[in-house]
Amino acid sequence: MQGDVILDCKGLSCPMPILKLAMAIKKLEVGKVLEMYGTDPGSKDDVPAWCGKTGNSLLEVVDTEDGFTFFIRREK
Amino acid sequence: MSESGAKKKGSLRELYDVFFSKSWPMWVGGILLGVGNICLFIVLKPWGASGGVKNWGDNLFNLMGGDFANMGAVNLFPYSVLCILLIMGAFAGALFSKQFALRFPPIGELFKGLFGGLLMGLGAVLGVSCTIGGFFSGWPALSMGAVVFTIGLVAGTWLAVKYLLFEINKFPKLSSGKTLSILTAGKGKGSWQPILGFVVVIIGLIIAFRYTGSSSVLAWYAAIGLYFGLVCQRSRFCVVRALREPFMSGSSKPALAVMAGILVSMFGFVVIKFMGIRGEMMWVWPHFWVPAIIGGTIFGFGMTIAGGCTVGSLWRAGEGHIKLWASIIGMMVAMPFTAKFIKPAFFDALPDSMKQMFFLPEKIGYGPAVGVFLAIMLLWYLFVKWNERTGKFSAY
Repeated sequence: MQGDVILDCKGLSCPMPILKLAMAIKKLEVGKVLEMYGTDPGSKDDVPAWCGKTGNSLLEVVDTEDGFTFFIRREK
Repeated sequence: MSESGAKKKGSLRELYDVFFSKSWPMWVGGILLGVGNICLFIVLKPWGASGGVKNWGDNLFNLMGGDFANMGAVNLFPYSVLCILLIMGAFAGALFSKQFALRFPPIGELFKGLFGGLLMGLGAVLGVSCTIGGFFSGWPALSMGAVVFTIGLVAGTWLAVKYLLFEINKFPKLSSGKTLSILTAGKGKGSWQPILGFVVVIIGLIIAFRYTGSSSVLAWYAAIGLYFGLVCQRSRFCVVRALREPFMSGSSKPALAVMAGILVSMFGFVVIKFMGIRGEMMWVWPHFWVPAIIGGTIFGFGMTIAGGCTVGSLWRAGEGHIKLWASIIGMMVAMPFTAKFIKPAFFDALPDSMKQMFFLPEKIGYGPAVGVFLAIMLLWYLFVKWNERTGKFSAY
């Protein structure tokens, strides 16, 4: 899977990844996919919760060498 | 034989996964910490976090030839021992769940950690409290100063969320740049982590056990510290989130988790105080109301910038976040200096009516005092639930 826009949140800890995600989604066109990299274990709970709350779709979570990648589609 | 062997392994694996495959709900952490807090009070005094970190700073600067407070060596002051073992417990929790890694943030974030820590140190000393002593333990102690301190925390948190949103919009570079994560347990890597986790827990227990000969108080503080660290890391227990989320995502879960812990502790604390097992005035600080509101606001701003209060910094440090190491260093520097050079003048300038120890049951009795605290918590609950539904105060 590949995203349209990349958001690198590696090395960041709570609350920066979620704040950056909220800002990045606002700049994304509806229907496009954000590819977000993270290393904070907290993001694994926070990103799905944020998507659920804001109505955006978490398409996939992939474990990587040093963390994880989220694919999030802007829905509205 | 081999069949039962395989079965046994499967059951143990299942047990292990219950604790370490997923994060625990934060409210589970809140309740477990609340119970542990009662145990601490029975052993000696309620939970406090900043005193331990201050002791590290005092000792460090005394070693360098300074003349700061002397509460005892780092291995003999109970709250210092508690904090050290708390980091070890969080380290072990992260290792067991393969979540440990040394995570170096962009340089701007490191400075935010340090700056947040400096502010927390300043606020903790001026306000005579932190999120634990002046909130998580202060409310169960039925101290009205703790309520004021918490109002300060909320004000500081609100301001800092505004600042963070401004920063991300105007200065996105501050939180981006070169980062590094090492010793990670990514895909197919890091099977060494759970093994090291066991080693860390065993070392922690040996430390606790070795104290039994000289001081059973220190032994229990060490053991409970280890337990607190593990619980905090596994449940990602975070007072900053409890106070911050209403202004960010609107989620009420972290607030409910903290309330759960406070309720449990309050039950035990009231019994202990009412029965005279420990002093009634314990964890009722002389900060009602000016030091509490000023210290609370500064502390609340600092913890939100740093991304963790004192305990939040300690357990995240154990998980390997270098930003929170910077936060701890900031506190270690700010607390001794504030206590020596700023606090005396600040307190001297205040009339006695503005720096009171306000133990509510002394004025209205235990029953009504507990009722007042339950009513405050009910209002808080209704607020976070209403805000979660309406998004009135949340940023997104």
